[in-house]
Amino acid sequence: MVIQILHLPVLWYVNVHDKSARPASQRAPFSPVSPANSVPLDAGLLAQLVCRVAQERDRTAFATLFKHFAPRVKAYLLKSGLTAAAAEELTQEVMLSLWRKAAQFDPARAGAASWIFAIARNARIDYARRQRNLPPPPEEEELGPSAETAALAAERDQRVGAALKTLSQDQQIILSLSFFSDLPHAAIADRLNLPLGTVKSRIRLGLARLRLLLGEVR
Amino acid sequence: MITHHPSEETMLRLAAGTLQAGLSVVVRAHLEHCPACRAELRKLEAIGGAMLEDLPPEPLDELAFNQVLARLNEPMAPRPPRPARQARKLLPEGTNLPAALKGADIGRWMWVGRGIHHSRVRLPWAPDQNMMMFLVDRGRKVIHHSHGGAEFTQILAGSFVDDTGSYLAGDLAEADETLEHQPVAGPEGCICLAALEAGLRLPWLDRLLRR
Repeated sequence: MVIQILHLPVLWYVNVHDKSARPASQRAPFSPVSPANSVPLDAGLLAQLVCRVAQERDRTAFATLFKHFAPRVKAYLLKSGLTAAAAEELTQEVMLSLWRKAAQFDPARAGAASWIFAIARNARIDYARRQRNLPPPPEEEELGPSAETAALAAERDQRVGAALKTLSQDQQIILSLSFFSDLPHAAIADRLNLPLGTVKSRIRLGLARLRLLLGEVR
Repeated sequence: MITHHPSEETMLRLAAGTLQAGLSVVVRAHLEHCPACRAELRKLEAIGGAMLEDLPPEPLDELAFNQVLARLNEPMAPRPPRPARQARKLLPEGTNLPAALKGADIGRWMWVGRGIHHSRVRLPWAPDQNMMMFLVDRGRKVIHHSHGGAEFTQILAGSFVDDTGSYLAGDLAEADETLEHQPVAGPEGCICLAALEAGLRLPWLDRLLRR
């Protein structure tokens, strides 16, 4: 019951075809994001929303994406060691990039979450560079198609998410440290008070298990 | 046929954004020619995405959304195009510079030893990185050396052989501080792009290269 109620605004956002871009001031104020109302959205739906931002400059779709991703992006940036103020500012920039780069999103290549993860990761690298007053690197060239079988990327995101939950707690902790902190594996080993070999083998085993679950061999 | 790829840890660090800028450029040069590693990167980014989904959300400032809304129509700040200083006639016919080197300053070939030329590569956005290109004539040995950290080498043309195997155009060789090696260029010579995490363990050559 509770879940249904929480889903309502989301369905509303998705079903309404509001192509007239009203200025933000005429819209209902956006309710501040809180963990309670960020419901898990299906990966296919998220991808559709990004496409609608790209094709229709749809602000309602953007609002839903913001509500879903901004708090997670902020959590990611905090985990990677940024101060609360920097994480807040950078999250806003990442969401702005989502709006601006939406046309580059290719749902056949990446799920929305993977795509936004990559944007947030690059924003973090960029932030560190700006702190040192260095010029920006050139825009990255789009890499060619990859050798994977053509499963829809959104579907893959969903499968990866499910597979991730089946990893042991130890493997999850170490994988999440490798993705979210900028610690080299040796420092992760230090922090967890484990030998470096153990950290490396847990990462390797975790990734191997994910591959197995995803039915892919390297 | 590419047989030497970046290690799993390297790909993970690239996906996580924690690989040093210089090493990243070398790996990206590899990805340009390797569909398998591009697929690997996508998969790792999908894992990153799934973990992002699972993070406990951190509430934003109440005004955050409206602040972003107000900026949606701002024109994008164009990146100031800074022409890279890349020396001409660097490569033989038919070999292209990796796109990953776009924006990098690349010096002229400098003679550093019999049959060995070297060219400094500088990334304006990460000038502290130790990067270079090597042009080694056929059969020539690169001096015996070890490294203070990782050394990634992407073969752009030709081939080389060392104790760990033989490397052809498209391959990426990953050496770490435990490897002491003496690569020998193959019959067509070898052109490669390399990045070092720390310095070469070879004081006199190091001095020469940094000149």
